[in-house]
Amino acid sequence: MVKTTLWRASLQHLRLHPWQLVLAILGIALGVAVVVAVDLANDSARRAFDLSAQAVTGKASHQIVAGPNGIPDSLYTQLRRQYGIDKSAPVVSGHVILDDNTLELIGIDPFAEGDFRNLLDFTTDGEQTDLIRQLLTTPGAIVMSQELTESLGLSAGDRIELIIGGEKRPALLIGSYIPSPTRAAIFKNILITDIASAQELLQREGRLTRIDLILDDALDIDSILSILPAGTRLLETASRNLTMRGMTQSFHLNLTAMSLLALVVGMFLIYNSISFSVLQRRELFGNLRVLGATRRDIFSLILGEGLLIGAAGTIAGLALGIVLAQQLIHLVTRTINDLYFVLTVSKLFLQTSGLIKGALMGIIATMIAVLIPAFEAAFSSPRSVQNRSRIEDRTKQLRLPLTWLGLGCCAVAGSLLIADDSLMFGFVALFIFILGCSLLTPTLVTWMCQATTRLFGPSIGVSGRMAVHGVHTSLSRTGVAIAALSIAISATVGVGVMVDSFRGSVQQWLESTLRGDIYISPDQPSGTGNQARLKPEISNMIEQLPGIAEISRGRQTELHTAGTITQLFAIHMAAKSYGSVELLQGDPETVWSKFDREQAVLISEPYAYRHKLAVGDKLQLDTDHGRHSFEIAGIYRDYGSEHGVVSMRMSLYRQHWNDNSIYSMGLYLKPGVDPEQLIGRIHNLVGDIQELRIRSNRTLHQTSLETFDRTFVITNVLRLLAICVAFVGILSALLSLQLEKARELAIMRATGFTPRQVWGVTLGQTGFMGLISGLLAIPLGLILALVLVFVINQRAFGWSMELLIPGGVLIEALLLALISALLAGVYPAWRMAKTPPTMALREE
Amino acid sequence: MSGNGAEAFLNLHNISRCYRQGDSRQQVLHDLNGTIQRGEILALLGRSGCGKSTLLNIIGGIDQPTSGSIRIDGVDLTGLDEHSRTMFRRHHIGFVYQFFNLLPTLNVVDNLLLPLELNGWSKEQSRQRIQELLEAIELPGHDTSYPDQLSGGEQQRVAVARALAHRPKLILADEPTGNLDAQSGKSVLNLLERMVREENSTMVLVTHSQAVASRADRTLTLADGKLQPASVGMLW
Amino acid sequence: MFKIFTLITLLTVTAIWLLDNHNQVEPSSGYQVGDILGGIADTGFQRALAPRTFSFPDDHGSHPGFRNEWWYFTGNLADTKSNRFGFQLVFFRNALSPDNPQRKSAWGSNQSWMAHLALTDVSGEKFYSFERFSRGANELAGAEAEPFRVWLYDWSITERNDHWHLQAKADNIELNLKLQPLRRPLLQGQDGLSQKSSEPGNASYYYSIPRLGVSGEIALENSKHQVTGLSWLDREWSTSALGKDQAGWDWFSLQLSDGSDLMFYRLRRKDGTVDPHSSGTLLQQDGEIIRLNADTVYLQELEWWDSPMGGSYPIRWKLEIPKLDINLTVTPVLKNQELDHLIRYWEGAVDISGNRSGQPLQGSGYLELAGYAEKSVDN
Repeated sequence: MVKTTLWRASLQHLRLHPWQLVLAILGIALGVAVVVAVDLANDSARRAFDLSAQAVTGKASHQIVAGPNGIPDSLYTQLRRQYGIDKSAPVVSGHVILDDNTLELIGIDPFAEGDFRNLLDFTTDGEQTDLIRQLLTTPGAIVMSQELTESLGLSAGDRIELIIGGEKRPALLIGSYIPSPTRAAIFKNILITDIASAQELLQREGRLTRIDLILDDALDIDSILSILPAGTRLLETASRNLTMRGMTQSFHLNLTAMSLLALVVGMFLIYNSISFSVLQRRELFGNLRVLGATRRDIFSLILGEGLLIGAAGTIAGLALGIVLAQQLIHLVTRTINDLYFVLTVSKLFLQTSGLIKGALMGIIATMIAVLIPAFEAAFSSPRSVQNRSRIEDRTKQLRLPLTWLGLGCCAVAGSLLIADDSLMFGFVALFIFILGCSLLTPTLVTWMCQATTRLFGPSIGVSGRMAVHGVHTSLSRTGVAIAALSIAISATVGVGVMVDSFRGSVQQWLESTLRGDIYISPDQPSGTGNQARLKPEISNMIEQLPGIAEISRGRQTELHTAGTITQLFAIHMAAKSYGSVELLQGDPETVWSKFDREQAVLISEPYAYRHKLAVGDKLQLDTDHGRHSFEIAGIYRDYGSEHGVVSMRMSLYRQHWNDNSIYSMGLYLKPGVDPEQLIGRIHNLVGDIQELRIRSNRTLHQTSLETFDRTFVITNVLRLLAICVAFVGILSALLSLQLEKARELAIMRATGFTPRQVWGVTLGQTGFMGLISGLLAIPLGLILALVLVFVINQRAFGWSMELLIPGGVLIEALLLALISALLAGVYPAWRMAKTPPTMALREE
Repeated sequence: MSGNGAEAFLNLHNISRCYRQGDSRQQVLHDLNGTIQRGEILALLGRSGCGKSTLLNIIGGIDQPTSGSIRIDGVDLTGLDEHSRTMFRRHHIGFVYQFFNLLPTLNVVDNLLLPLELNGWSKEQSRQRIQELLEAIELPGHDTSYPDQLSGGEQQRVAVARALAHRPKLILADEPTGNLDAQSGKSVLNLLERMVREENSTMVLVTHSQAVASRADRTLTLADGKLQPASVGMLW
Repeated sequence: MFKIFTLITLLTVTAIWLLDNHNQVEPSSGYQVGDILGGIADTGFQRALAPRTFSFPDDHGSHPGFRNEWWYFTGNLADTKSNRFGFQLVFFRNALSPDNPQRKSAWGSNQSWMAHLALTDVSGEKFYSFERFSRGANELAGAEAEPFRVWLYDWSITERNDHWHLQAKADNIELNLKLQPLRRPLLQGQDGLSQKSSEPGNASYYYSIPRLGVSGEIALENSKHQVTGLSWLDREWSTSALGKDQAGWDWFSLQLSDGSDLMFYRLRRKDGTVDPHSSGTLLQQDGEIIRLNADTVYLQELEWWDSPMGGSYPIRWKLEIPKLDINLTVTPVLKNQELDHLIRYWEGAVDISGNRSGQPLQGSGYLELAGYAEKSVDN
């Protein structure tokens, strides 16, 4: 180790300024923590999906799946008997509710399982040898993991009541088992039963959900393809799982982008801290250079320092990130459950890859942030020992190139947005744009300072002018702090405006779409597919009720094809329902006659976007009678599904699919009928026949918005975190600034300023910085909002929406900036005011 | 002024230095020539702002002349790149400043150690040398003091020792007593002179004090960008 | 014959197999096969208490009121290039409970099925064996009397016009054989009631068709062989278990060159002695039936084969029936004909040489050895 004294000189400095060190470390720690937390949460959700997919599909290489009706039992028999496909296993599965828990009921044929999953991989003892025999011979017998029985307070032999598609079904818990530790998390949410019981419980007799296969012979694949009945498809498991996983891709990407924003803000913070500490030590470095330390010595010294800070911050960030991820995973899983599919696991998987990624990002971000000050220190001539304002001069010289660079970044971002329409490029452009704006900050700050002095110079007094002037003269530090704060604030503005616009559009859509007075559907958790249906006797009963003017009936199903999952919505519309559909494309004159009479469908906006379809195009769907082509009569607004919906009239659906069931009813009441009263009557009438969700227009409206709000909780959390990082940033910048100004303030005190006046100058300056940040953040935030609403959302979800700029968000942004800046100024001001003038003066 | 026969230790040839400040140009040194012999102590007098410090920086390789060349002990300093100049400075030159310029974050011993370490002295060599230096500067009990715990005179004594620690060929002293009271100044000067002589080093001493200049072997005045023999008027 | 024990074991163990298939449950953590024997309580099932009237083809079908039942086809075949083969296709039925409640789902059934398929390639010195399981529902597995059909997935024996067609395929082997019964069903034991121990009801209904003419095709690793030969069918159903003191059995089904067919099983006790319930039959070419028992048949092991998986099997035997002056040596066509599935046992094709009343006698047949290895019936 050479030049240890050099190192000692540098480290000693850090030790003498611990707050600087702490803030720098905190900045990077917060940034890394957010990135790591989001990454871990995302990854855990994905891994949870993979694990449950793996547990459920086992080693299957292929799956046969089908439309709403499932697969006939006979197909499996045929595969086994006629084609000797011996690595095949039938599965009947569905979601059930047990004591308010949504669980997956998996019905298997234990005789066919051997080659597939080890669903029954429990250790055996005398009693358990009997479990499978009981499973096979006792109708309604189920087993579950011991963890689940304990959490539900059940024990073997208990009779339990499952709610399936809103109906209560008795079942018998015949035993529990202890799955291997790695699988425990998945089996916490799975009920295992025999395939016969599964069919009976789910009322899917004669029908399989899917057939799992292990196929390695192309001949087998060909022969299976040749016998598949219409409406069934052979899919590769991996690609099917990928399709399911892909559904949440945009969501994960959005979260990652938000987390990166926090890291970028953290980078500003690091840059700020290091460049300040360099500035503070320019004398030291000058002396070292005079003594013969080379540029490289100085450069590596500062880089090394940065590495040290980066490492410390990263380690702290990793720890913090893990803690944070524990909280985020619940939000992530909840959103996935609300929007996509039931994810039964919400356990944090600590993946080293995620941690390594976070660590690397932390270190690299630090290095990038440190590079500029290190360069600055190494390449300024040793003469700067004598020249204190040199760096400020340099900043002023750099202002013009920086401005051009910033404008260049904005231009690149703009052309990127136009040149490519992928989501990824959208985000890249967004980040380049943010970078560009931060480069423009010095110029903008200068202008604002000059304007303020010119406009308000006389009225703000000497202290005021000093405050404004101070911001301007110390641009190298104030610029960075202002940029960091304004980026964080603009992110809140952008995201806030986006969420508000989104919410407003959804609200409007709900109002126009929900025209019925009462909506009825089976009680089943959202995101579980739509295998449930209304019992026919119930729909009959409801139809007989007086006070109902009209009824619309709907049936939702999912069609799985290679690579895609299409949501199909068959609807018999009440006359009043027609007006509720907001057409975005299609001739309003002819759409409905086509929809009502021809082989035509309507598709929702995201569906059109994702599949690049337009009115007049043909859409191929796999029906129960083979592939059929439907004309697209129109495209309508729909925020219900990110992946889009294909809607067709009920009679057309029944013509192509052998499915007469109804999933939901919308009741239009006669004038003067009280919906709440009618709901009460329906409840009484239905009694125990089927558990229903009967909601008035108002309630449904409300719960829809609640779901919406819930899905944006995580966004708000991330927004808040970015502000936290920015707050630390501005605090550290101000601290540096004020401490550097110690001498100036001491002179002020010496010349007769009261401590109160020193307070005034200090707070005036920080407040002014906050104000500038806020003012800069508003236009930047609005541009971000524009990009988010019209580019990112469009690309991620295919939704268009109206831009809604709520004044509240803007005022909020300004206040946020001002308050955080003032708060950050309190400590330095207190410190300055408290210091006796002699202390500060003594240093020279 | 100009040496004959064997080349002088330090040779300044047609040195000019201009500063650009906005649109105006300011010529500080103008075709300056001069030599210094090995072992010589040269005092440099001149009014404030006449370019004494600039010349010193140029000799030390911290600054570069706009034109002209400097040779020190046969090495053409102006022909070296930045890194080589730094290396030359590291090995062969010691600076003493008016404002001491000790590293505030290092104690006395560490300040003295720094140039030795930069020059790659071994631990044992460094220990011995520091012992010698500590004895020379006569600051008992202050070995591990930090600069802000020392008086100005004491700080400058350490600075002198630091400048000479690695036995440089050339010492550049810029107003070493300018910031000290008469008593401390005298004692620092004694130390400086004694050490330079003992180490058989060469020194350029910038000062505006006749008393200080009188210690030198020779005195030159910097005026109008050129070196001129000290005028009688100025001497007396 | 004593496959009954195999059967009971097998099907009860099925449940366990499903549990630990890939987990390799250590013997200590799991069960001992003996514990499982009788694992399904016999209460509620029909039992073989007294002789009954057999009626064909009805009795070729299944008897679901009894707990266990099997259709056991073995045979020796050869092609024109004198490549020799042995085959075994056996279907086991096991009721998991005495009653079969009416279920809405077609998958609901109390019947479970297992099948073993084995092929001995004598000239290639290779032995192949496979195992399948299914429930007796949804047409996946079952047995019917008229027309006769027993099947599990794509392994089946189906009556066609004038013959039974055997079809089975697994991995790289495939059997397509015509089976023609050459003898009428032979009732074993006391008019078809085969007592396995002194306990009443611990008996089975048991008949054989000792000779079926076989012709057809064996496909093996891409080569096809047109083969002919003889097969043997054993049919047995019961609700009985291995007695507590019984350890295993040695079972012989031999088709002799003088046109007679010999079946004999020897039950071994844990103490090493021969159980007096050991029994057999010699069906003469003229149709005469001679009952055999432990006292009339003398058996001696001539050679033991050590299984690479542990345990030793007596694979070469001396079989003598002094009162009929029959002296036979039974030699396996291949030493390793061990099946390692749910349980481990040795069952393989054998050659017979010897003499009867001084006249040379040859033949071929099948030998089953149970209770010699771990994971088999002995405990």
